[in-house]
Amino acid sequence: MKSISLYVDNGSWLCRVHPFTKLAYIVTAISVPLIGGTLWLFAAFIALSLAVLASGHLLRRVTPLVAFSFTILITIFLIHGLFNQNNQTPLFQIGPLRFYQEGLLYALRIGCNVLNMLFSFAILVLSTKPSELVEELEKRGFSRRIGYIIISVFQIVPQMMGTMSTITDAQRSRGMETEGNLLTRAKAFLPLISPVVMSALINTRERAVALEVRGFAAKQKKTYLADRTPHRGDKPITIALLALIVLAAGWRIAQCL
Amino acid sequence: MPVIAVENLKYRYPHADALALDGLTFTVEKGEFIGIVGANGAGKSTLSQALIGLVPQFYNGAYGGRVLIDGLPAESTPISELCCKVGLVFQNPFNQLSGAKDNVYEEVAFGMQNLGVPRAEMHRRTENALKLLDIWQFRDRNPFDLSGGQMQRVAIASILVMEPDIIVLDEPTSQLDPQGSEEVFRTVDKLAHSGITILMIEQKIEKIAAYCDRILLLHQGHQIAFDTPQKVFSRPDLEQLGVQAPVFTRICRALGTTLPDGSYPVTVEEAANQLRRTSVLPPVSAQQEERPELFEIRNLEFSYRPGTPVLHGINLQLDARPTAIIGQNGAGKTTLVKLLKGLLRPTGPSIWFRGEDISHKTVAALAAQVGYVFQNPDDQIFRYNVLDEVMFGPLNIGMSEEQAREKSRAALALTGLSDQENSNPYDLELNERKMVAIASVLAMDPDVLILDEPTIAQDMMGRRRIADIVRTLSAQGKLVLAILHDMDFVAECFDRVVVMAQGQVVADGSPRQVFADSAALQAARLDPPHVTQLCTRLGYDGVFLTVEEFLDACGCQA
Repeated sequence: MKSISLYVDNGSWLCRVHPFTKLAYIVTAISVPLIGGTLWLFAAFIALSLAVLASGHLLRRVTPLVAFSFTILITIFLIHGLFNQNNQTPLFQIGPLRFYQEGLLYALRIGCNVLNMLFSFAILVLSTKPSELVEELEKRGFSRRIGYIIISVFQIVPQMMGTMSTITDAQRSRGMETEGNLLTRAKAFLPLISPVVMSALINTRERAVALEVRGFAAKQKKTYLADRTPHRGDKPITIALLALIVLAAGWRIAQCL
Repeated sequence: MPVIAVENLKYRYPHADALALDGLTFTVEKGEFIGIVGANGAGKSTLSQALIGLVPQFYNGAYGGRVLIDGLPAESTPISELCCKVGLVFQNPFNQLSGAKDNVYEEVAFGMQNLGVPRAEMHRRTENALKLLDIWQFRDRNPFDLSGGQMQRVAIASILVMEPDIIVLDEPTSQLDPQGSEEVFRTVDKLAHSGITILMIEQKIEKIAAYCDRILLLHQGHQIAFDTPQKVFSRPDLEQLGVQAPVFTRICRALGTTLPDGSYPVTVEEAANQLRRTSVLPPVSAQQEERPELFEIRNLEFSYRPGTPVLHGINLQLDARPTAIIGQNGAGKTTLVKLLKGLLRPTGPSIWFRGEDISHKTVAALAAQVGYVFQNPDDQIFRYNVLDEVMFGPLNIGMSEEQAREKSRAALALTGLSDQENSNPYDLELNERKMVAIASVLAMDPDVLILDEPTIAQDMMGRRRIADIVRTLSAQGKLVLAILHDMDFVAECFDRVVVMAQGQVVADGSPRQVFADSAALQAARLDPPHVTQLCTRLGYDGVFLTVEEFLDACGCQA
């Protein structure tokens, strides 16, 4: 079965670090530059994230994400560089297009923000098994039901894609063309999508029963098959990260006073 | 004190007019193995759900009478509490997976986690259950990647680890191959001997007869009988109630051979002990007529992933004789028929249909000639009335509205759905939906009809209906190619049997030849039909395939 999770266990140290440490990193990487308010903080955290990704051998797997986000970022630079309402100081000109400093700075801030978030989330998403994250959350009192919903998406969506291909086969067997011009495809839509929806509904009901008979609604405290072996970096890193947030906040308050 | 006490249980589903259960009263003692039998619609599944409190707690509806599980009322005890006493395994293994765990080991432990079982105990129970059900080797696999039979064993293991006193199984072997279902029966029997009470709904009547202490016979929500298998299956009105007695019982009844108490034997051992050996002429094979060749398969190789071949070196010529493909789960049967239908592509030219290489034909182009009925009818149904659903295929292949309607009506008549023409397919039961799927392919009037496990979920009437379809099409000179796990059905309805094991054809011939080839059957891990087993035990020469054939040889009319 094809997994829709981006996680691959590549054996690096990053995969063994506790998901909460990575969550703490995300919070720090996003909040510190926002609190600090200066551009170089963004740059520093982007560089730090890239360094962490590199040490976890994940740099190559992050490139498609960057490539995707760049198409959006370029649009932002074009629009704000050309049309931002605060534009006053022309910076350079390409043909008839005149770019302004204010708009470009604004776009740069957005771009840094996006990249910063992207990279810090990438650390978590690429190196953490979704079920592990949810299990750790549940151990700290996170709702079991919501946890189940999150995890089951990772199992059931690929399953639905599998069902989809069986359905395509079944309808093609009944002489339905699925390829061709727009009209052919439009005609094929209903016969393909209705069985998916209907069987999803039927399956959901049955699965609800299955969960019920396996004690999902039990009030007892849940137990777990294994404790994670904590990484020796977990505690110091988390403390350092939280300290950074406090520091940034203190520095900003001091500036304002 | 009985472990289950049911008193005058009545239940009606919401928005239904008829009672699904009407006045059931029985008790079950600890460690008993109870079989629940009855035609489709008898209320078997509803009863299984009432025992764990899903009826009425989950489904609502009108409820009367009492169900006591170990003294607890099933009507009001929370299911999360009842599930420590009663475990429920149902038909479709796929929907029993929690969907929250990505390997078999964790999947099996899921229920215990919810109940807060200590860790060491969870590991112990999980390991035991996986080994008991012979799925230990799959512990790190994703449960969704397993075959139906393997998945069902995971589902049973998941219930087993919760150590309930009672396990209710709702047709748990319907998706399994013969060996797999035998394994499940033996496991369940082992559990029953260890003191767990078992209630099992099952269509495989010979198995039920061999393993159960008592049989609960239901019909349209009523309790007809609750007695020993011998007593229940000796009832003269059994067929009117939609249940066929075991092969051995039918033979003994026709020959007038009874047990000391006047009932008829129900297992092969009992029958073999009671039947006296008479001189019986070995059966003679009827001359088979020559039929035109349809498919030619030469040196067919296929793999989904490079390096793991699913089929290798298949050579077959298929003519219009009704042909059954048998073999274990994962032997490559479905892959082979999908290749014939063009749903999968062979790597080079290796399949010819009427002399034409099909490796570059589209599925839709083949649709008019080769029909394929998928296992799960819900993968294709999308219309809101049966006739429209059935007409979809014929219209696609270019029939006129009129012709399509005519063909569809004929197909519905053949599948026994004429009076359901305007029903919504989703309001029909699974066995009827399967018939809709068959009709929707029949209506396209193909020369070849491929059926993937058509007898699953069908009761006696449904099986007879499918046997009729096979005979009718065959009489019209069409090829019916069916994947089957039901050997009695194969022996009854098919002229040719292809046995597959590990991606190869290990035997091919008439049922009489194939079921005499014990080496090939062993290689494919299959058992011969029940009549054949009985005759081998009695030491008769030749291979008897059906009850009628055997009785004829004994000089007796069925």
